[in-house]
Amino acid sequence: MSMQAITRARWFPAVLGFGSFAAAILIIELLIRVGLINRFIVPMPSEIVRAFPRVIAEEHVLWRFLVTAAEALSASILVTVFGIAGGVLLYQFRLLRAATETWVAAVAAAPLVLIYPLYLVIFGRNATTIVMMGFTAGLAPVILKTLEGLAGTRRVLINVGRSFNLTRSQQFWKILFPAALPTIFVGMRLGLIFALINIVGVEFLINFGGLGQLINELAERYDLAGTYAAISFVILVSICVFLLTERLERWLRPVD
Amino acid sequence: MAETGRLTIPTARRPWLHPVTALRIAIIAALLVAWEALAASGLLYRDVVPSLFAIGKALFNLLTVPDMPVHIDLDLRVVHIDWQLTLPAFYWHLYSTFYEIAVGMVIGCVSGIVVGIAVGGSQLLRRAYEPLIYYLGPCPKIIFFPVMIMWFGVGSGSKIAMGAISCFFPVALNVAGGMREIDQVLIRVGRSFRASTWQMVTKIYLPAMRHPLINGVRLGLGVCLIGTLLAETKLSNRGIGFLVIQAYSVFNMPLMYALLIALFVIAIGANALIGWLGGLDDIKSR
Amino acid sequence: MAALIQPSERLAVASPAGSILVVDNITKRFETPEGVVTAVENLSLSVASGEFLGVIGPSGCGKSTLFNIIGGLLDGYEGSVKVAGELVRGPHPSIGMIFQEESTFPWRTVLDNVAFPLEIAGMGRSERYDKAGHFVSLVGLDGFERRYPAELSGGMRQRVSMARTLAAQPKIMLMDEPFAALDEQTRLLLGDKVLQIQQELKQTTLIITHNITEAVQLSDRILVMTYRPGRLKRVVDIDLPRPRTSEIVSSEAFGRYVAQIWNDLREEASRGLRADEAAKRQGAPT
Repeated sequence: MSMQAITRARWFPAVLGFGSFAAAILIIELLIRVGLINRFIVPMPSEIVRAFPRVIAEEHVLWRFLVTAAEALSASILVTVFGIAGGVLLYQFRLLRAATETWVAAVAAAPLVLIYPLYLVIFGRNATTIVMMGFTAGLAPVILKTLEGLAGTRRVLINVGRSFNLTRSQQFWKILFPAALPTIFVGMRLGLIFALINIVGVEFLINFGGLGQLINELAERYDLAGTYAAISFVILVSICVFLLTERLERWLRPVD
Repeated sequence: MAETGRLTIPTARRPWLHPVTALRIAIIAALLVAWEALAASGLLYRDVVPSLFAIGKALFNLLTVPDMPVHIDLDLRVVHIDWQLTLPAFYWHLYSTFYEIAVGMVIGCVSGIVVGIAVGGSQLLRRAYEPLIYYLGPCPKIIFFPVMIMWFGVGSGSKIAMGAISCFFPVALNVAGGMREIDQVLIRVGRSFRASTWQMVTKIYLPAMRHPLINGVRLGLGVCLIGTLLAETKLSNRGIGFLVIQAYSVFNMPLMYALLIALFVIAIGANALIGWLGGLDDIKSR
Repeated sequence: MAALIQPSERLAVASPAGSILVVDNITKRFETPEGVVTAVENLSLSVASGEFLGVIGPSGCGKSTLFNIIGGLLDGYEGSVKVAGELVRGPHPSIGMIFQEESTFPWRTVLDNVAFPLEIAGMGRSERYDKAGHFVSLVGLDGFERRYPAELSGGMRQRVSMARTLAAQPKIMLMDEPFAALDEQTRLLLGDKVLQIQQELKQTTLIITHNITEAVQLSDRILVMTYRPGRLKRVVDIDLPRPRTSEIVSSEAFGRYVAQIWNDLREEASRGLRADEAAKRQGAPT
């Protein structure tokens, strides 16, 4: 195969991406072995790989993963219920929407996670703080997207409902809500992601919980290879969750 | 007999207070009243909901009571300035945080722009590396903090690194996307006039994607703020984040609320500022 | 004189005044997912200094390919393109390109747009604004220097693009369907403007178009291309008096030229349609 044909092949970019990543790891390994990079600051990639099974076994990674997942699930349920309710509320009461929509948008952009010390005081150093933090962070996107979905329903669909003399309730449940569902799912996905990021972050910060706490503990124990391994593991989990929710959303969204 | 003549339509009476504003004031007032009632009722644990007066006082003290000696020693040849004054410590910590965020933003934005242009401009590089950046984006960056401490120490370095890493991703992704959206004919115009690479970047690429770029910087500022402040709460001896955790550790709730209020005002203000700067351009492209 | 070019003839189109642009036997093939497509085959032409040459052909005859090859934006072809004896190997300083699509920079004022090539070449500020201003008036946009393209009509924006290319003072102006996005009246009036400028500057111009009226109105000579693979079908000398204006459109001679070229084009266009249908039936690349 000619050089040109190889670079044009469908698999080449993926290979290039992963290949350069693997090459970078190899170079780092080499540099550490040679002594150019301090092995007490950056552990050898081979050591990190060896730390994986040790960490997974000793630190009950599966259980920790479930803890984090449970926190994320609780936060997601709260976010979904209150977020959609909030969005519907704002849609129904136009004046309320006009008054508060910009506030919600501003809150969505604000560094909410910094409230966590406040939650520590109110709820204590436990899972409630973590879940509440996830809820707070994920709420605004769901409200906004629900509102956007409902408000963005095509005029013609609303008119179809009116032409059949639907009651307000029927109009909402049979036309507005289904039409808004794709956008609502986008909001739920955003909400989940924001919640998860904050949950893992707060677990790390308050040294309580599942995967986030694992990283903090290993770091405080100066288990270098273990810390890097735990971080890599969390990155992998985060990527998988993101990919999964993306697929799910695409599957749930009807073809426009 | 029908009245012919001028048809007078009574002018609608304009309310002296717009209903939206009225509702907003009402909501805020209701929240404040509820808060104060909760504080006075003693229902919750001791200072969890302090009275508004206490918070106000703490905020006032925070911003105005000098409690940190500062020595300014300047030799300007014509005059020698030797000041010994005391400032509210808040401003020193604010400056510290601001400095860390500023440096982190510069590093993150510049590297984000460079990588974004490189990745967005080439079909091959985009398909190879954009997924990497895209999927790494939603990962909580604070977990990298222990590594940053190992590499950059416990001082400002690790906080700046946190800010830079956080800021990098939204900027790089937005710039890469912006490169893709550039009207191809503009690139051909640049090439037909034989512009150098640097000229292409500064005179065509960057201006053409100023909207995605501004959005990326806005998002980048948001996450840089979060990353830097969280790092300060975790391990630092200066900065706003440090002040917040310090207030928590001595259970000085009014102070903590005051700090959070100051912080959010600054964060929302900075976001609005960038948004306004970005909107200035819309006058041109109307 | 209107000679039908045999496929075996090559450089049969040299003019006595001395050719400033010589396109020698170019063939360009493209690799598509469905196979190899020959856009242009054994195409040769030459343009004399000060001449206005029109190249006309049906859609899909490789006109844009020809445009990009001469402009130096496309390579990987057989044959050569020479400007004033120099081989073209990329965008050449002596060739100015005007694109079919909207190509003004929306973030620059009219004056800044026109000054762009001078800026690239490193000219100083006041000097290039002086020069640019001269070309802005040349295209009739006096008073619009400080406006942004969004505030102008489509025809005015094309004039800005034209002024921008003229500002670089190229020996040859290369235009690819410059009025494609405009309505008929604006076309005629802009055609007038182009004629006026060309006559004033004695600018060598090559216009590629599918609009017969435009080609006959503006050109001294017209080359008719065949359907893909694009070859030269016919050369038509346009013996209409100069200086010309758009009034020429209603003359009898004009009508005869248009009819003659229309005959050729119709033949090629229907050949093209039949070739397309046949190819689609076989599932081959169209």
